[in-house]
Amino acid sequence: MVNARKRNFWKSMTPYLMIAPVIIYYALFWLRPVLVLVFDSFTAAGGGFTFQNFALVFQDPSFWPAVRNTTIIVVFSVTLEFIVAMLLAFLINAKFPGSSAFLFIAMIPMALPAMAVAAMWQTGLTAHGWLNSLLYYLGFLEQGQKIYYLTGSDVKNLILIILVDAWTVIPSVMIILLAGLQNFPEEAKEAGYLFGGNVWTVTRRITLPMLKPTIQTAVILRLIAAIQIWLIIVMLFGFNRLPALVERVVYYTDQVPGLTYSYQLAASYTILVSVVVTIAALAFLQVSGAFKRDAGEIR
Amino acid sequence: MSHAIAPVNQKRPVNMRKLVQRTVMYIVVVGITFIILTPIFFLVSLSFLSTREAYEFPLPLLPDFTTQFKLEQGKKGYLLSVYDDQSGDYETVLDTDDTNKMSVYMRSFLNTIMSEKEIQARIADFESKIQNAEIGPDGAIYFTHRRDLLQNYRVFFQVTRDAVPALIRSLQVAALTIVISLSIGGLAGYAFARYVFVGRDGLKFGVLFVRMFPAVAIALPMITILANIGLYDQPLGLSLVYAVGSIGLTVWITASIFLGIPVSLEEAAMVFGATKFQAFMRITFPLALPGLAAAAMYSFLGAWNETVSAIMLTQFHPTFAVVVYQTLLGSTGQVNLAAAAGMAMALPAVIFTFFIRRYINQMWGGITV
Repeated sequence: MVNARKRNFWKSMTPYLMIAPVIIYYALFWLRPVLVLVFDSFTAAGGGFTFQNFALVFQDPSFWPAVRNTTIIVVFSVTLEFIVAMLLAFLINAKFPGSSAFLFIAMIPMALPAMAVAAMWQTGLTAHGWLNSLLYYLGFLEQGQKIYYLTGSDVKNLILIILVDAWTVIPSVMIILLAGLQNFPEEAKEAGYLFGGNVWTVTRRITLPMLKPTIQTAVILRLIAAIQIWLIIVMLFGFNRLPALVERVVYYTDQVPGLTYSYQLAASYTILVSVVVTIAALAFLQVSGAFKRDAGEIR
Repeated sequence: MSHAIAPVNQKRPVNMRKLVQRTVMYIVVVGITFIILTPIFFLVSLSFLSTREAYEFPLPLLPDFTTQFKLEQGKKGYLLSVYDDQSGDYETVLDTDDTNKMSVYMRSFLNTIMSEKEIQARIADFESKIQNAEIGPDGAIYFTHRRDLLQNYRVFFQVTRDAVPALIRSLQVAALTIVISLSIGGLAGYAFARYVFVGRDGLKFGVLFVRMFPAVAIALPMITILANIGLYDQPLGLSLVYAVGSIGLTVWITASIFLGIPVSLEEAAMVFGATKFQAFMRITFPLALPGLAAAAMYSFLGAWNETVSAIMLTQFHPTFAVVVYQTLLGSTGQVNLAAAAGMAMALPAVIFTFFIRRYINQMWGGITV
């Protein structure tokens, strides 16, 4: 009797024991650094509690431009990427000869390291770069005529960043959505047509809702990645030209680490980024109902 | 898998619609392929161009495999000219009698490795032709020499201090990250897939949340934490940071993989006398292998590609990504070297993706377009 209860106890403990390593790991290497970060952001350079660091951030002349640029990049790149990827996935949704080769090609931009993507566009977007050469070969540019991509207004530069990001991301989002479409029970759509639905209603009322989990995953990950875009900005425009939130963090840690307030500024910027990412993640999870979805998962 | 079968009486219109659909689909597929491959093509091509070619406009589409030279009498010595594809003529590059200077120029601007001896032999040939009055009416001799296509890569690894050790360190970091995240994350993934327990949803959400947390927010405070335990600027220290992100992903991926493997298979094995552990090792584990491979691949790519944390957490022992970052950040010139650096960065990632692509497809649910 006692033995059985003991066994039962251990049996109920099994999942916790299996998850314990993750919890311990997170406590040591996630929670602890995050607490240190919060602590540091409220600590003056010489020690002692202060709000000074955040005041410094708000006074940083590139703070508002950084907020603005990051917001623009997030809103436009996620929207653009998602809509285009969705359209492409619907257009391609069929088997065809050479489709596995096509799938692999579409996976390459996602597989490329950000540094390689940066090298690609850094060499491409200079006035003497390959993009102008290509346009010349295709007859869009006259002899001696050049497009200067990396100069001009912030708006133009932001569009460039969004387009480069779209090149990197759209193919892989498309693959994810395509996978969702491929696994789609054809009967559901047929039933929709049978009951008098047209392409638009069937797509809107059946296909899209059934794709919802796939779409959720793709959008969450994209949103959070877009908030933290910095490398391609720095590689194309250098530091300070087109400030963004994470770009500021790297700027203060890597470029001017010696200043009295460098670390404090970086810590405060990082807190802001973390808060924004957290809000975005929570809001999205809430809206998409990920909190409730889990319960019925085990059968 | 199979598509809807059209009702017999509607055969013609359906076929028309299908034809249009197919055409649109192919146009889209070809268009996407072109847009994806063009930048990649130019990066590859640029990484093989000689410095002289890389500064021409428009850039040559493909590198030359040989360099064509013209040698004639100059004012200070010999006049060395190089055939230029763009202008379709020879362009003078040097006027000197210093063969060392010629050799260096050929190596660093033309990616053509020609020793002083070989150049002297050509000059001797030129002189003897003049002596014997065998020279052509333009008073020049012509010769071609093989181009060394991998020269940019060699130069990048030679010139860039620390490139080779950094490459090795990056592989170490990736391997350590995979080991940590697969062992810790895989176990938790199994628990999430197989057990119902209090706090399950909360924990799963927590894992997802940690995964989404910005990398900088962990890397920045980790500078001091790792310094205190002597792991700052060490591959292990960096992989401890990377594992925070990849454990979350591993839990998520492995949980969905184990969910897809019916418990009844394990139970059947146990009916035949296997223990729970044996049932897992003999039945579930082999079936889960593709998913585990996909999780490992994601951990590898995450570690290999990551830059922010690596910049913050290394100083004298950077990873390869940091070395490439510094090269690209500093270089306003030498576009061909920048391209070679980017290629060196891209190659392992793409190869890895290629070998494991079936598993990725499987992870997203058996996609078979």
